[in-house]
Amino acid sequence: MGDVILTMKDIDKSFPGVHALDHVNFEVRRGEVHALMGENGAGKSTLMKVLTGIYQKDSGSITYKGQEVAFHNTREAQDNGVVIVHQELNMVGDLTVAQNIFIGREPKKGIRVDDKKMIEDSKKLFKDLNIEIDPREKMSNLTVGKQQMCEIAKAISHKAEVIIFDEPSAALTEKEIADLFVIIRDLREKNLGIVYISHRMDEIKVITDRVTVMRDGGYVGTLITKDSTKEDIINMMVGRVIYEDPKEHSMVAPDAPVVLKVENLNAGKMVQDVSFELRKGEILGFSGLMGAGRTETARALFGADPKQSGKISIMDKQSGQLKEVTINSPQDAVKYGIGYLSEDRRRYGVVVQKSVNENTTLATMEQFTSGIFINKAKEKEVSEKYIKELATKTPNGDQLVVNLSGGNQQKVVIAKWLTRDSDILIFDEPTRGIDVGAKNEIYKLMSKLAAEGKSIIMISSEMTEILRMSDRIIVMCEGKVTGNIDISEATQEHIMDKATRNIN
Amino acid sequence: MEKLKQNPIVKKLGLNRILLVCILILMFVVFKVVLGSKFPVGDSIKSTLNYVYFLGFLSLGVTFVIATGGIDFSIGPVMFCCALVSGYCMTSYKVPCAAAMVICVLIGLAFGIFNGWLVSYLSVPPFIVSMASMNIAKGIASVFTKTQSVSWPLASDPANGWFRNIVSYKGFPVGLVIFLGAAIICGIILYNTKPGRYILCLGSNTEAVRLSGVDTKKWNMLSYVICGVLVGIGALFFVATYTTVQPGYGDQYNNEAIAGCVMGGTSMVGGLASIGGTVIGVFIISLLQQGIMAFGLGKGQQMIITGIIVIVAVYADVSARRRKN
Amino acid sequence: MTKKKKSIISDQRFIVLLVIIALSAIFSIMSKEFRQYTTLLSMLDFSYYDLLMAIGVTFPLITGGVDLSIGTGMVCYALIAGTMVRSHGWPVAAAMVLCLVLGIAIGALNGVLIGIMNLPPFLATLCTCMITRGAGSLCSATPWPGLTQDGGWFHTIFKITVGTGRSASRYPIGFLWMIILVLLMEFVLNHTKFGRYTIAIGSNKEAAALSGINVKFYHVMVYVVCGLFVGLAAIAYAAVTPTVQPGTGAGLEMDAIGGVFVGGVAATGGYGSVIGTFVGIFVIMLLKTGLPYVGLQANWQQIITGLVLIIAVLIDIIKEKKKAAM
Repeated sequence: MGDVILTMKDIDKSFPGVHALDHVNFEVRRGEVHALMGENGAGKSTLMKVLTGIYQKDSGSITYKGQEVAFHNTREAQDNGVVIVHQELNMVGDLTVAQNIFIGREPKKGIRVDDKKMIEDSKKLFKDLNIEIDPREKMSNLTVGKQQMCEIAKAISHKAEVIIFDEPSAALTEKEIADLFVIIRDLREKNLGIVYISHRMDEIKVITDRVTVMRDGGYVGTLITKDSTKEDIINMMVGRVIYEDPKEHSMVAPDAPVVLKVENLNAGKMVQDVSFELRKGEILGFSGLMGAGRTETARALFGADPKQSGKISIMDKQSGQLKEVTINSPQDAVKYGIGYLSEDRRRYGVVVQKSVNENTTLATMEQFTSGIFINKAKEKEVSEKYIKELATKTPNGDQLVVNLSGGNQQKVVIAKWLTRDSDILIFDEPTRGIDVGAKNEIYKLMSKLAAEGKSIIMISSEMTEILRMSDRIIVMCEGKVTGNIDISEATQEHIMDKATRNIN
Repeated sequence: MEKLKQNPIVKKLGLNRILLVCILILMFVVFKVVLGSKFPVGDSIKSTLNYVYFLGFLSLGVTFVIATGGIDFSIGPVMFCCALVSGYCMTSYKVPCAAAMVICVLIGLAFGIFNGWLVSYLSVPPFIVSMASMNIAKGIASVFTKTQSVSWPLASDPANGWFRNIVSYKGFPVGLVIFLGAAIICGIILYNTKPGRYILCLGSNTEAVRLSGVDTKKWNMLSYVICGVLVGIGALFFVATYTTVQPGYGDQYNNEAIAGCVMGGTSMVGGLASIGGTVIGVFIISLLQQGIMAFGLGKGQQMIITGIIVIVAVYADVSARRRKN
Repeated sequence: MTKKKKSIISDQRFIVLLVIIALSAIFSIMSKEFRQYTTLLSMLDFSYYDLLMAIGVTFPLITGGVDLSIGTGMVCYALIAGTMVRSHGWPVAAAMVLCLVLGIAIGALNGVLIGIMNLPPFLATLCTCMITRGAGSLCSATPWPGLTQDGGWFHTIFKITVGTGRSASRYPIGFLWMIILVLLMEFVLNHTKFGRYTIAIGSNKEAAALSGINVKFYHVMVYVVCGLFVGLAAIAYAAVTPTVQPGTGAGLEMDAIGGVFVGGVAATGGYGSVIGTFVGIFVIMLLKTGLPYVGLQANWQQIITGLVLIIAVLIDIIKEKKKAAM
């Protein structure tokens, strides 16, 4: 480890209603990989956005190479050698790989952009990184993993001295991660300062030198990686020890009937021949890497996206028999008692500009209408019942959903499906963007629902969540089901092995 | 200001709407003071009302469309198309007046269905649909009438003069009653019924509503259909006040109708609509047109001023929304 | 190699070219008058201003926006500049420069409203459409100098007449300029920063901004370039319109925008080509010119251009859907 290249001291940042960063300290040395860890919403990304000029800090100081700096935009940060590889890919799909890498600083030949030079330079970059990508390919034609590699190549091409990787491995296969680590080690050799944001504890142990932990927008502490244990880090992240043990065995009665049977579902590239069964009262975990096709499976099952083929059978409430159904739209799915809780609540879950009451009754309007008129009193009554039952924190039902926290927004979505009396609930990343305390509440709620006889499909990228909640785990990889594991036999290694089975 | 906002009466009526009414009154006073006798109170109110009737229906209609986050700027030419085609049926094919009135509304309905179908079922961007149907409406009107202007019967016409009673009956402003009645019905539909709820919700987040198992396409289309019907009714009021319609025009009313709607607090981004605001907005726009004319300025200045007003109103909305997020 | 062949056939521009040939063939077979050289000449004459507007509006459409003020803007500039020549004794050259300046000014206004103040493009330009139309109608009907009059030289930019009277032969030199401009703007779109950022804004504005591009500046410039071409169109319009009438111009934007969509710009932006626009416009021009020869009166054109616009956009939407499903 070399000398300190970057110091962030007492960084403070507020957004309306949220104290996002509370006097955070952070430093990076040359030639180190420094992990930045914390739960979702701990403020890691915000801190890095302040550093790279996307947000402006309210107070505090940033010292870079011995001088106090305040970058006003990413461009300025880039020009000074501070580059971020974003978590969400920031690529212009309609341009080629080379055009994307050099966007904003195209080499010129007279008035024309020198595409030839760009392609040559890109080739050189990829060669150095040992990646095989054609720089002339259109960006939108690449896989997520390849796009990520392009993003890294772009960052490196900036003559960066500090590179920030914001959860780079989320979308990558094991092999790609291994390649990435080779690249990162190489960059460390070259005396760059590297910030590595990740959730994956194993990676942190393998690749990083130091770990800084954040919690609820505050700075918790910094550890030397090789001198600390996983538990040390987790304790710092969650504040109190609530890291619950995985479920030991399935909670589902052995004679519980199958309520949903999916056979050979096909929908585009991401869903190929997917088959599985869901039993009454079961929490069925869906595990896999980002881009494995889990969300796509759920959306195809729910009728949100078109499917090419597949047989879906649902238990008929009266006869108790499985019956084949046709689901071509969310309306059909809802009619058969399926509810879908999206990973992106603000986009697909709630109507943020509307009230809690209005959101609660959105899927069940016909229960609240006489003729075409809405019975607002009844609406209010039911909504308030669920506010109490789910302990949703809101002053009243007229509050706009935009003013609620992530956890409470999730509860509003749950209320929506409970109003509908849906028997099958699909939770897609149920705790993404929800703080630790609320997370536990959501877990308890899901367990309670399952115990009451609801059946739950839970898609999750967090291994601890999968192991803690599921009764059975379906593992997907590149659009195919590669594993169907009972919780009693599930281990993290076992699941990861299946999740990367198709690859290589 | 904060204190004023918390006042229960202000809260109930909405600060924006109170401010708009103040603007309306202030405008009237200023016109009177500056123009004096060139702005006779009685006549000015009457001509403002005449303008309000047809423009109000356009504005109410487009409020539904804008509430879904869409846009329809074919409403002006469609209104002309309705008036021309049905009027031509009456004058040249001897269709009875009452039947022609029905045809008039039906043509509006047809355009509403056409626009709504393209936007919601075929996912053509609304502005493209508007452009296309604006042209189609003008084209149909010209082809049908052979590019002749059409005159609806005068009040003195013994057989068909009765239809002008929809505007005023023996000096009583029937039109105002009908317009306000229509506005109240629109308000009830928008705020107290299932279709209205869906229209507003899908305006703020279509995907979330669709994933709740709601047939968003149907309700999105409905907003255009409602708009079409209201435009058809607006056409009736237009001919009942101004008698003669010429093919090839009507564009300017697009902007005026949208201006009334946006000024009243309906957000261009969708999801937020105020029928009360639209009504007051329409009064302001209509009074403004009378004022401009009383100043001796022509159509040109009218268009320029309305254009600027829409820009200012939309910018206010856009920047208010950005501050909130 | 097989891959390349496939791409030519699936290229919309190629298909549009086939449509042009088919349309010309149909009209030629159905009408003897259509086959005459003068028909071609007059079609070209009237295509210049449409084409210039279309080249300009291609850029806003690629960013996912639109400019509805092009038609009324063009007429407005022609009117104002014409008034300067007629009533204030300006030389024609100065009037031409004025057209360009006005075009750039209104373009910049659109750009600021859309790129900086974040107004929805269709609404902002609908307003400038009304404003330019209103401003235009404040002028009186204005004839620019005729070919034989003082200052009539500007007609020769578009058409060179050799000889006089009936024996005169006329050469549509404007067509040559158009081809040069189309190639130039195709180059600008594909090989300059401006063009690249136009595509980037249409494809993923956020990403473009995060890459350190001054998105606001380029967004404004897109409308300025569009405005410049509308200014050029105003000159071409004055050259073929004996007397420019105030209050007209609404609806002219339709032909141009329709042509661009026929040429294959994506309905949601991110993709487009100026050569596509060029062939697209000729589909519209052929319809406009040919339909009266087969007995459809002028007003039918409005209906047909409206339908053509919708069909062109629908084809794009269906193509995108297919692509997404693959």
